[in-house]
Amino acid sequence: MKTLDTKQNILDDAGFAYNFDRMVYFNRKRKKIFSVEFVDDQPEEVLERKIREDTGGKEWKFYFNRDPSERAKREIEAALG
Amino acid sequence: MAEVERTVEDRLREEYFSLLPEMHRVADRLETEIRYLLLPVSGRLQRYERLAVKSRVKSCESALDKLRRHQETRDFKDRPQEAYMLTSLNDLAGVRVLAFPRHWLADVDRRLRSEFPTWTPDPVKDGGELQAFKYHGYCPQASERVRGEYQVVSMLTGLFWEVEHAAVYKPDVRLAGITQHRGMQERTGDVAMALRAFEEQFEALARQD
Repeated sequence: MKTLDTKQNILDDAGFAYNFDRMVYFNRKRKKIFSVEFVDDQPEEVLERKIREDTGGKEWKFYFNRDPSERAKREIEAALG
Repeated sequence: MAEVERTVEDRLREEYFSLLPEMHRVADRLETEIRYLLLPVSGRLQRYERLAVKSRVKSCESALDKLRRHQETRDFKDRPQEAYMLTSLNDLAGVRVLAFPRHWLADVDRRLRSEFPTWTPDPVKDGGELQAFKYHGYCPQASERVRGEYQVVSMLTGLFWEVEHAAVYKPDVRLAGITQHRGMQERTGDVAMALRAFEEQFEALARQD
């Protein structure tokens, strides 16, 4: 069996879970959501930097290639609970 | 009575059923042409070798879900003004050629490629390793709106994909999002690697016979 992909390791180590319906990696404590497209397209260093980034932690921060509308953000937040 | 606003999904379902006869025509034509083109191969198979050609038309909900998953928010409501079209999908009608053992793949691909020279290649790879030859394009005699797709894949890998699809994702099309998890992709790659090793060992022994 191969070892886990580096980006998956980075996300796992930072406590990110995967939502298969929305196809996003999310962390409720950090209040951050990454789309699979963003994770695929960005290098590991960028992913690590975004995970470490201080966002205040009050509102969800979306890391998408194309910024979702406010309505879409609310729906994703509701879906993630 | 107030008119009910049609959703993107409503419009796409209507589009699906208007395309359905053409989808069947493309699948039937592509399957028949491919079977004909591969007659020289099927006539040369050893007793332990196999070649199968299967066609399918994508289901309505599967087509909608695929288009939905192409959106980064997985939701048509985010940009309802966009002109979502099922004809943007490459695989509304598809044919899969399954060959065993895998040494036939290159030969089959060469024969089909020369008959569909304008079709766009879109190979399926896992960690840089080719899993399947895949092409999409139009069969103008069958439809100028519905694109067809054909794949040439090792029989064991193709049958694994069928089992995976039927057992894991078929119960709920939304489960297909699981395939995009990076860890899941690696486990799928492990299965492909194991099947390849099995096939190569089998072939080496069968050739000694």
